[in-house]
Amino acid sequence: MQQYKKTQYKLILVLVGLPARGKTHISYKLNRYLNWIGYKSEIFSIKGAQQKDDKLDQIIDYELEIDPENQQIVEVRQKLSFQAAQQLVTFLQTEGDIALYNGLTNTKCDRQKLKSFFKEQLQLEFQVFWIESICDDPQVIVNNINESKQSRFKDKTIEQFMNHINVISQDYQTLENIENLSYIKLINIGKQVKVHMLEGYLCSKIVSFLLNLHANNRQIYLVRSCQTEYHILDKIGGDPELSAMGKQHSQQLGDYFIEELKGNKNITFFTSQMKRGIQTADIVGEKLGIIALKTKNLDEIDYGICDGLTVKEIAAKYPKQIKERKANPLEFKYPRGESFLDVIHRVEPIIYEIERSRDPVLIIAHVAVLKCLYAYYHCNQISEIPNIEIPINCVIKLVPIPYHCLESRVIIK
Amino acid sequence: MQDCHKSQKIAICMVGLPARGKTYISRKLHRYLNWLGYNCKVFNIGNYRREICGTECDKSFFDSKNEQATKARNECAQLALNDLIGYLNSDGEIAIFDGTNTTKERRNMVYSSLLQQCQNVQTLWIESICDDVEVIQNNIRLTKLNNPDYVSMNPEDATKDFLGRIKMYEEVYQKIELDENLSFIKLINIGEDIQIHKVKGYLLSKIISYLMNLHIYPRPIYLTRHGGSTFNQENRVGGDCDLAQQGIKYSQKLGNFLLEEFPSQEQRNQIHCLTSTMKRATQTADIVCNILKINYLQLKTLDEINVGICDSLTYAQIAIQFPEDFAERKVNKLTYRYPRGESYLDLISRIEPIIYEIERSREPVLVIGHQAILRCLYAYFHRNEISEVPQLDIPIHVVIKLTPAAYYCEEIRIKIDPETGDKKQIEEDLQITRINILTKKKSYILL
Repeated sequence: MQQYKKTQYKLILVLVGLPARGKTHISYKLNRYLNWIGYKSEIFSIKGAQQKDDKLDQIIDYELEIDPENQQIVEVRQKLSFQAAQQLVTFLQTEGDIALYNGLTNTKCDRQKLKSFFKEQLQLEFQVFWIESICDDPQVIVNNINESKQSRFKDKTIEQFMNHINVISQDYQTLENIENLSYIKLINIGKQVKVHMLEGYLCSKIVSFLLNLHANNRQIYLVRSCQTEYHILDKIGGDPELSAMGKQHSQQLGDYFIEELKGNKNITFFTSQMKRGIQTADIVGEKLGIIALKTKNLDEIDYGICDGLTVKEIAAKYPKQIKERKANPLEFKYPRGESFLDVIHRVEPIIYEIERSRDPVLIIAHVAVLKCLYAYYHCNQISEIPNIEIPINCVIKLVPIPYHCLESRVIIK
Repeated sequence: MQDCHKSQKIAICMVGLPARGKTYISRKLHRYLNWLGYNCKVFNIGNYRREICGTECDKSFFDSKNEQATKARNECAQLALNDLIGYLNSDGEIAIFDGTNTTKERRNMVYSSLLQQCQNVQTLWIESICDDVEVIQNNIRLTKLNNPDYVSMNPEDATKDFLGRIKMYEEVYQKIELDENLSFIKLINIGEDIQIHKVKGYLLSKIISYLMNLHIYPRPIYLTRHGGSTFNQENRVGGDCDLAQQGIKYSQKLGNFLLEEFPSQEQRNQIHCLTSTMKRATQTADIVCNILKINYLQLKTLDEINVGICDSLTYAQIAIQFPEDFAERKVNKLTYRYPRGESYLDLISRIEPIIYEIERSREPVLVIGHQAILRCLYAYFHRNEISEVPQLDIPIHVVIKLTPAAYYCEEIRIKIDPETGDKKQIEEDLQITRINILTKKKSYILL
């Protein structure tokens, strides 16, 4: 539903919560998701403001310096928080659709000031949605700090950091209905969720998305279906079966996964409803003792009138289309077929499924579809999608960790 | 995606004082889940109570201090629960337990019975809380006064008695608390506040998303096919052809019709107009929206069913070129998938986001679509059995206006003559749908 963005108002998502509650993690994931589905979205935080400010000394990490007793640092943080808000306004006034704000929002007073600031400065229609992350499980908090901040602590210890948090929490005011704000509270990573005054298409979508997030770092395997006769003939599209070589490769793929998954039968296993997908998945699944869920959402991009033709034939028959595709590969739509944007939209429910799953995920699909899935985890701009390499007989292993995604590729011989 | 996730049975239990919309939510969920293809049934404790204890129960029957009555009510609940468990243990996939379930004791009883007697069941508790007096009065007026319990009373007495009944329940009401360790969603004041606890799993997440979009604003939904196209005239399927002359005229008359339905420009500006990316639909939308001076949204999700290799052929040609497929389709039109194309089941899966959109919208919605797409959309609002979907009658040059009401959908069909602009209200002439209307009315009275 990307087209919705052209008619709707701007959206500001504001994050609220004590340090080490996963605000930055949530903002990164949301930002990545919103950009992927086609909105122009950006995060504005103290860290971001610091990087953009040349006059400031970059050695101190102002996002981590939360000591409320150090008056000088407190002032700098307030200034940076304000600068971030100003940069956010500029962004929305020009090209932005959605902005995420990760600044100082821990008291009712701060929030009202922010709300009024936006109202005064933004000359267009906008909506603000508040996302609060609350955590009272000490183990989770320590894990958060270890995973995301440890590397950035210089002469500090976790204990000092936790002490600062305890001091700050004295003044912390959680979101309340009386403030008349539209919000969602995520408590203990979504174990409990409270939503207030939810309105609008985009906010509903964001809430559904947030309900699926969790903190398990599980692996995601993306694999192409194996070789078919069409590959040999250099044809695109179609619904061909696996060639003999393809079946052999599927066996090898199965063997690889037996080792990799070490007998774990709790796998979220998806494939498409195309013959090559089903056949590859059946062979691999048999080796692993699991059955794939077959969904039409993972079917290859519809090549429309070019379906079943070789690359040379297309160049000869439809030169105009080839030119159009070179000029704008992301939005180019095969006549009577789909574009990458359509595939993204089609594959979105699969992303929800992957996000929701706390077990390893294995997806056997096709080139264009995998490019879109891969881009969700790895690319900052969807314009990069057409250039992504998804080789055949190659297992791409993605492990999303806080703030980015680890990747490794294994070619199966 | 649906056939992927049928491993666990699901029991959905409602919680809440009377007149809080529990039956409304149960029925909406029932309709949605059946439409998606699950075997789903509602078990309403009130119905069991009416059958066993009769309908002449005044508010003293619901007094918790009335031992005999309490025993009878518990027995009714147990009977309903037994039937529900029997359903889930056989071919039922999702069962909805529609009752007040207002005490911890009752909830505990239900929860442990379900866990012990059902193999592999997941439970979800939906609590509806409302303290807005106006909403409650309205609920009572719309749904309780026609209830068999109050058939012999006049409206004022009935309302008074019902409010008395609510008071009986209020005395012992215990809201769901975290320590009961249940998976629940609390809907407070029709979704102004929502609380979700421990909800995991594909279907439960989906149900939660669906519930968050519900509201009770009675906005109209207009469904219409694009104007007649060149392919329609030649009896061809698929393709991406233009509007025929008749189609253009219909679009203009449709625009005029909507001008009358929405007299002020302000009202018109609120209309959500959705259409597909196919030429015949966008051309229709162009003309209509020009007249109304509004924008429209093109969604690929609303594109007509993909007929794969049969694209642009007439039915006669398909019968000759692909006789086996033609025969197969006649036998099983719902699940038959055109080679390299889609089936009706694929369509239902594809247009599900549109249902969310329409449910969520508090403003009038106009959908300019295609025959197969509209059959699926219409079936959702009309509560048709999924098997009826491929046969539903969605004629060309007819506007279907749906207004969701308490437990069903009011429907008006208006045939617009493209030449003259004459509007004629028509009755559906399918026997199947007539039976549906009858059963709808019947279940409306039974609550």
